Amino acid sequence: MLSIKNLQARIGEKEILKGINLEIKAGEVHAIMGPNGSGKSTLASVLAGREDYEVTGGSVEFLGKDLLDLAPEERAAEGLFLAFQYPVEIPGVSTTNFMKSAVNEIRKYRGEEPLDAVQFLKMFKEKMSYVNIDQSLLSRALNEGFSGGEKKRNEIFQMAVLEPKLAILDETDSGLDIDALRIVAEGVNKLKSPDNATIVVTHYQRLLDYIVPDFVHVLYKGKIVKSGGKELALELEERGYDWIISALGE
Amino acid sequence: MLYTELTSSAQKEALERFKAKGFPTNKWEEWKYASLKSWNEKDLDWAPAPLNETSSASLQTQNGNTRFHGALPAGVEFISFDAFIAANPTIAATWEQRLPILDQNSLYDLNIALTLNTQVLWVKAGVSVDQAITHDYILSVAKASAVQSRLIVYLEPDASLTLIERAFTIAGSAEVLSNFVQEIYVSEKANLTYVKEQDLAQNTTHIDHTFITQLSNSQVDLFTFSLNAAYLRNNLHFYSDGENVVSNLNGLYVPGEDQLMDSHTVVDHRKPNSESHELYKGVLLGNATGVFNGKIFVRPDAQKTNAFQSCKNVLASTRATMNTKPQLEIWADDVKCSHGTTTGQLNQEALFYLRSRGISLANARTLLLLAFVQEVIDRVTHEETKLRLTDKIISKIQTSLAI
Repeated sequence: MLSIKNLQARIGEKEILKGINLEIKAGEVHAIMGPNGSGKSTLASVLAGREDYEVTGGSVEFLGKDLLDLAPEERAAEGLFLAFQYPVEIPGVSTTNFMKSAVNEIRKYRGEEPLDAVQFLKMFKEKMSYVNIDQSLLSRALNEGFSGGEKKRNEIFQMAVLEPKLAILDETDSGLDIDALRIVAEGVNKLKSPDNATIVVTHYQRLLDYIVPDFVHVLYKGKIVKSGGKELALELEERGYDWIISALGE
Repeated sequence: MLYTELTSSAQKEALERFKAKGFPTNKWEEWKYASLKSWNEKDLDWAPAPLNETSSASLQTQNGNTRFHGALPAGVEFISFDAFIAANPTIAATWEQRLPILDQNSLYDLNIALTLNTQVLWVKAGVSVDQAITHDYILSVAKASAVQSRLIVYLEPDASLTLIERAFTIAGSAEVLSNFVQEIYVSEKANLTYVKEQDLAQNTTHIDHTFITQLSNSQVDLFTFSLNAAYLRNNLHFYSDGENVVSNLNGLYVPGEDQLMDSHTVVDHRKPNSESHELYKGVLLGNATGVFNGKIFVRPDAQKTNAFQSCKNVLASTRATMNTKPQLEIWADDVKCSHGTTTGQLNQEALFYLRSRGISLANARTLLLLAFVQEVIDRVTHEETKLRLTDKIISKIQTSLAI
């Protein structure tokens, strides 16, 4: 589904990704872990098409297409979704209206008929139950004055509505208490299918208790320095990152 | 020559003053960003004939000539200024002593000199006009012209009125400079809602002078929506001349390619315990220029004044320019006053967020710009007007961003 080869990127003069290689197949959950500043969020941003970053080398193929050649909105229409670490507050735009525009633009891109108001409402209601989100929240200005938990639930709600092929959760656990974490994780798990894949970017192991990864990768100084199964996350939790770093001879 | 028809000495004097100064040029402090100098050179028709346009509005100004169509609402009169003064000797006395025009300019003199029939829309004491009165201000001239028009709105105590003004140019008109003066008098406990929609042609220069005097316990909600014209200038002056006066000034300007929109507002607090709230927003498209100059005066007697001013602008194009100048002059010591102006581009992070959900760049920008202007539009309570303005603004922004 996703094939990243020797991906390099920088912001300004600063090299952040220094040759990432990663293969992801449908049905898999990959966790990207690593200490602060290792490039985890940069990787998520580059995949979603954030323009602050300049890709200086390598390639990314997503469902047979050159991902790096696509605008952020085209990536979304092709089935990529980024759950933001810091969802943006947008006064004056309600989640409902915003999602209606998004869904119908994506449908147009795919050559599908737009949903009418009734169909949209029905689909919306169904998806709301995934993350136990309230109608009143969705009528309010997007993320404005939302609590940390409400913002993250809104991200997963949007994910449920857009049904991506590949979801990237960027530090979705940050700022969440344990109850909110569980609701968000349950939402993600309900959306899991053999046809889609998930990348979980996280600093801590605790989210992985709820969203169980098939593979865990450790990112350090812009490179994946170690990969393993879900037990690697537990080991990291216990021993920290130092043993991996010292094994690299640094 | 039309000038020979000037009857009163006041008109003749005003004309002499205008002739001495001519049209404003950008050497004048208050006209820094827009010169009307070229109008001095033009061969103008100074009194184009009224039109025979049909319009559904009850109040119509056609090339400067104002009349009322259909039946007047109960308690409302529409008469000439002379007849109004004759019928109201006491008002005449007040009128003579009315507050001085601040920031006087030659265009005001030109208007005094050449307006031949000033009309008064007069709402009697205690009358609440439940249907909004629509005022179509229509321009259509055969050759280059300067159009003068003057309207007085007089609200007696406890009167209440909603006025919806739609200023527009008929397609095919020659170029025109429209110079529109309104003097509005809002008595004790009277209430006025006034929405101005300025959607004129690219060969139109429209200068609007609106002077509003408010007495105690009155409220005015004024909206200026500037949509189109080569040059739109709004000189809006509030004289808050009583206690517990509420003055709400709302403005939204959306200048596009080769358009300049210039708002000069003055709020003059002369008595204690009153408040004014000023909210102006601008979206500047193409190579547009915007000007906001907002003055607030708080006179020595005007203790306990609350005066707030906010002007926020989005430059939707790298070629657009916005000039803002807030000016506060406060002589009273126990007041709350604040002002803030911002000019910036759309939030890049918000744009990326919308795009990451599949919304195209053009649509994401439109969505954010509409969200930005919605705050002003939402304050309009007249539903039909609100919908019409929303449609016009969406279509202007979309057209501009699609280029």
